[in-house]
Amino acid sequence: MSRKPQVRHIVQPKSKSRAEQLKFLAELRGEVQKRPQKTFNVKKFLIISAVVVALSLAVVFFAGYRLNAIDAYNQQVEETGQGTINTSSPIYAILRLVALIELGIYVIYAVVKLLAPKRRKPNRSIWGDIGIYLMLAIVAVAMVFPLVFSVCSALKPLDELFRFPPRVFPQRVTLDNFSDLIVTMGQSWVPFMRYLTNTVFITLVGTFGHVIIASMAAFVLAKYDFPGGRTFFSMVVTALMFSGYVTGIPNYIIMSRLRMIDTYWAVILPAFAAPVGLFLMKQFMEGLPTSLIEAAHLDGAGEFRIFWNIVMPNVKPAWLTIIIFSVQNLWNTNAATVIYSEEKKTLVYALQQIQAGGIARTGQAAAVTVIVMLVPVTIFILSQSRILETMASSGLKD
Amino acid sequence: MSSFIGKYAQVKRNQFRYNLAKAKRMKVCYLFLAPYAVLFFAFFILPILSSIYYSFTYYNILEPPKFIGFKNYINLILQDQVFLTAMKNTFLIAVITGPIGYILSFLFAWFINELPRWIRTIAVVVFYAPSIASNAFVIFLIIFRGDAYGYLNSFLLQFGLINAPYLWLSDPKYIMPVIIVVILWMSMGTGFLSFVAGLQGVDRSMYEAGYVDGVRNRWQELYYITLPSMKPMLLFGAVMSITQAFNVCDVPRALAGYPSTDYAARTIVTHLFDYGFSRFEMGYASAIATVLFLMMILCNKVIQSALRKVGT
Repeated sequence: MSRKPQVRHIVQPKSKSRAEQLKFLAELRGEVQKRPQKTFNVKKFLIISAVVVALSLAVVFFAGYRLNAIDAYNQQVEETGQGTINTSSPIYAILRLVALIELGIYVIYAVVKLLAPKRRKPNRSIWGDIGIYLMLAIVAVAMVFPLVFSVCSALKPLDELFRFPPRVFPQRVTLDNFSDLIVTMGQSWVPFMRYLTNTVFITLVGTFGHVIIASMAAFVLAKYDFPGGRTFFSMVVTALMFSGYVTGIPNYIIMSRLRMIDTYWAVILPAFAAPVGLFLMKQFMEGLPTSLIEAAHLDGAGEFRIFWNIVMPNVKPAWLTIIIFSVQNLWNTNAATVIYSEEKKTLVYALQQIQAGGIARTGQAAAVTVIVMLVPVTIFILSQSRILETMASSGLKD
Repeated sequence: MSSFIGKYAQVKRNQFRYNLAKAKRMKVCYLFLAPYAVLFFAFFILPILSSIYYSFTYYNILEPPKFIGFKNYINLILQDQVFLTAMKNTFLIAVITGPIGYILSFLFAWFINELPRWIRTIAVVVFYAPSIASNAFVIFLIIFRGDAYGYLNSFLLQFGLINAPYLWLSDPKYIMPVIIVVILWMSMGTGFLSFVAGLQGVDRSMYEAGYVDGVRNRWQELYYITLPSMKPMLLFGAVMSITQAFNVCDVPRALAGYPSTDYAARTIVTHLFDYGFSRFEMGYASAIATVLFLMMILCNKVIQSALRKVGT
């Protein structure tokens, strides 16, 4: 299978005529005066921004004034016991939203104009940038809202959890839910800390073993060409496509044959062989220069020494990546199908139990949710730049 | 003709000998691969094979498996009404959340890529956090709660858009849309990270060359330069998002209950769990698993061959 060297075609969109191209080339050579560069027009900018701000403020004030007036009227009427005006008409919400969006456009425009580097990237129109930033901002708020909401509910006292209308942010911040969690669960059959310890144990052992075993396999797959290696790797890539619940039932049968049902190993052993980790590690290791390994060979190092002293220190970013994927996987495992004893259950299982407790346990359920989500998110935030470095080599080549 | 076959056999034999000799020389490679390979075969390959085997048997763990031919599959398609519901729901979820989640992850990765460095860091965390904090979706139980204290209900009530609280998670009419929204919320996963990283790795000089050659706006740039250079990541992201789209199980189980009202949120995976771990009809459950496996592999192959053609 010899492949022709690929010639990357020079991009020639059809929109440009021959005359335009000639003109452009002439400009490049400096024969024709360059088109005047669009410069930042301070006057125009100030006028536009002033109009926008005035508009939005007017809208906000108008809506606020109307609402206040109606509220005052309602209070007055309530004393006399007559009918009140419904302030919850959607029109005010829409007005406020419009004002907010206007303000948002203005702020982003200002940010783009004032903070962005003076030399703008080519092919980027300012209005396109504003539209995209605005969309990003709206979607980001939508993405982060449930997470913020769960943290806030964990910090609310009981009466605020059931207040109508509910508020997002707590008025009186309290840690009662967390202490309740430990106190009430501490008196139950299996203390809460036990669930936490189980999950921590499974996550630590599973991740550690996975990193070692998967990097060993990835090292030889990436750097040596031996019979069967490619076939094995293509099997792993296929396993990427179905990993998950498909193997749940046979895994249960295999585990019961191995007499590992109801032990931690039933969760940990399959996690050792997670295909995503091997895949990412192998793709990253392919980027290591082969000369490094050859040089070590010439200096008389054995394979294991090369692996441990030369390759492993050089792939630290990839470690972090497969650690985060493994932690995410194991930390969120509920393992209810392979672990039966209550004292070996995981944190997520406890979370589901607490939620099944219903309304009375709402606060504690929110507290557990926060604990469960805190760990993977924190690890990700701390190791983010390294992870992105690895993911750059994550592509699936033909 | 016979000489041709003989020669072919000779070549094959030589190849085999050569490979064997090579394998002997590189023994240490197999040593390195062994721990992973053993576990991989035990927990990924063997399960698939045994799942295919058990799907042709009646097996309830207590008695030894009894061979019954295609009966499981026939029952699955002709008798099991709930399986058809599950199939419909799974396809609905996969068809909506798969492509939309995939395209959104790429678009947002692309938008984020243009931000200044420190905002980019924050944005990546914000977009990726929902999928990494994957059990945090239970907070939607409070947001979509059926009484007036539920966040969405009270919000809509306050603005007079509805008169009485809706049972978002118990009414079969609303269960699926709610679940699809939640899954979309979580869909910026591994593929998204891969895109963000891949975009940073695209050669800058290509953009400059494109500008000189007459690329006029960001969309042309995306189509002519960015997409072709991102192809490996696009394939990887597709694999991840298809796998995710078919593997929907935790979200409907946690939000809509298990079993859900009128099986409105039943997916293939929850059906599999029902038969496998509640009724212990392992043979039948294996048939479901095999169908799911075949569907995922087929879908992946089709989409990969389609994606290979992008931008060339």
